[in-house]
Amino acid sequence: MTRIAYRDPEEMTDEARELTIARGNLNVYRTLANAEKVFTGWMQAGQALLASPVLPLRLRELVVLRTAYLMDCPYELGQHRDVARTAGVGTDEINAITSESDWQTGPFDATELAVLQLTSELLSTRGISDAVFDQVHRDLGPQATVEVLMVINRYSGLALMLNALDVDLDESARLPIPPRHDGLTS
Amino acid sequence: MSRIPLAGIEQQPKPISEFIARRGNLNVFRLLANAPDVFVGWTRMVDELFDSPTFSLRTREVAILRVAHLQGARYELDQHTEIARGAGLTGRQINAIVGTDDVDAAGFSRTERVVLDLVTELCNTRHLTDDSFATARAEFGDEALTELLMLVSCYYGLAFVLNAVDLDVDAAARFQP
Repeated sequence: MTRIAYRDPEEMTDEARELTIARGNLNVYRTLANAEKVFTGWMQAGQALLASPVLPLRLRELVVLRTAYLMDCPYELGQHRDVARTAGVGTDEINAITSESDWQTGPFDATELAVLQLTSELLSTRGISDAVFDQVHRDLGPQATVEVLMVINRYSGLALMLNALDVDLDESARLPIPPRHDGLTS
Repeated sequence: MSRIPLAGIEQQPKPISEFIARRGNLNVFRLLANAPDVFVGWTRMVDELFDSPTFSLRTREVAILRVAHLQGARYELDQHTEIARGAGLTGRQINAIVGTDDVDAAGFSRTERVVLDLVTELCNTRHLTDDSFATARAEFGDEALTELLMLVSCYYGLAFVLNAVDLDVDAAARFQP
């Protein structure tokens, strides 16, 4: 049961409300809106990550699910199992990613496996071996590699907040996948 | 040695060049500038966290340094040890935060101890017990507690990026909080 009260979008600033509604008015947002002096910037940071066209949606969701699993975050898992499905990740694949090691033999391509390896190693040991980093960097290039790391950044940090505040999973509302902009660099 | 080349600051989009001018020409910003689609939004978050009057610089630095220590984030420790000193934390207190001196004997305020305990439990276990949550909530109230979690979240997640890239510490540039 969520440990603090939800904020009503009606009480938010225009910008915070628009971002909250556009992202499904989820419990996570209505909870974190309690931090009203920093909530809008946090939402902007998330919006940029969700709207960026750099990472394939499927690859992004693989990273999110693996991060959520390793952070032991039921809320993120609850939301992103469905988002991942929408992004073309199969049920067997989702089950593999949200297990200790089944993903290693799952139906993923070489780049996806390297990114999952990076995510697992980083969250478990707080570092990455040269070989794993080099493979991801070689496959994705610097821009997409930094974006993968920023997805891990975002969802690992968010997991701490969701777990600390014990936010209830939304009954049916799910994160809408926002339109992706054309990119600053493409 | 940084595993990803750092972007030059000359041809950055305006929000990024302005952020760097305001907050410092740091390696971390030039790293993240490789991904401008996400970096601009991230700078807005950082600006709000540091412009907010909710916590003193000193309280913020207690939280940040503790996160940096528990995440083994050499880059964050290098930047924030100096900022912490400038915010009035003693050498002994800084040592206690990074695990080389006794926390009980370092003369932290009650509020600072609540921050340290919350960060430690959350980073180590990824959760908070009911009792720990109740203690933190009684100390800060809902708004400030959530904002503290935002700050912890920012540095906890960033530490993974910095460690992954093995980012070099800055020779001289310093973050402007």
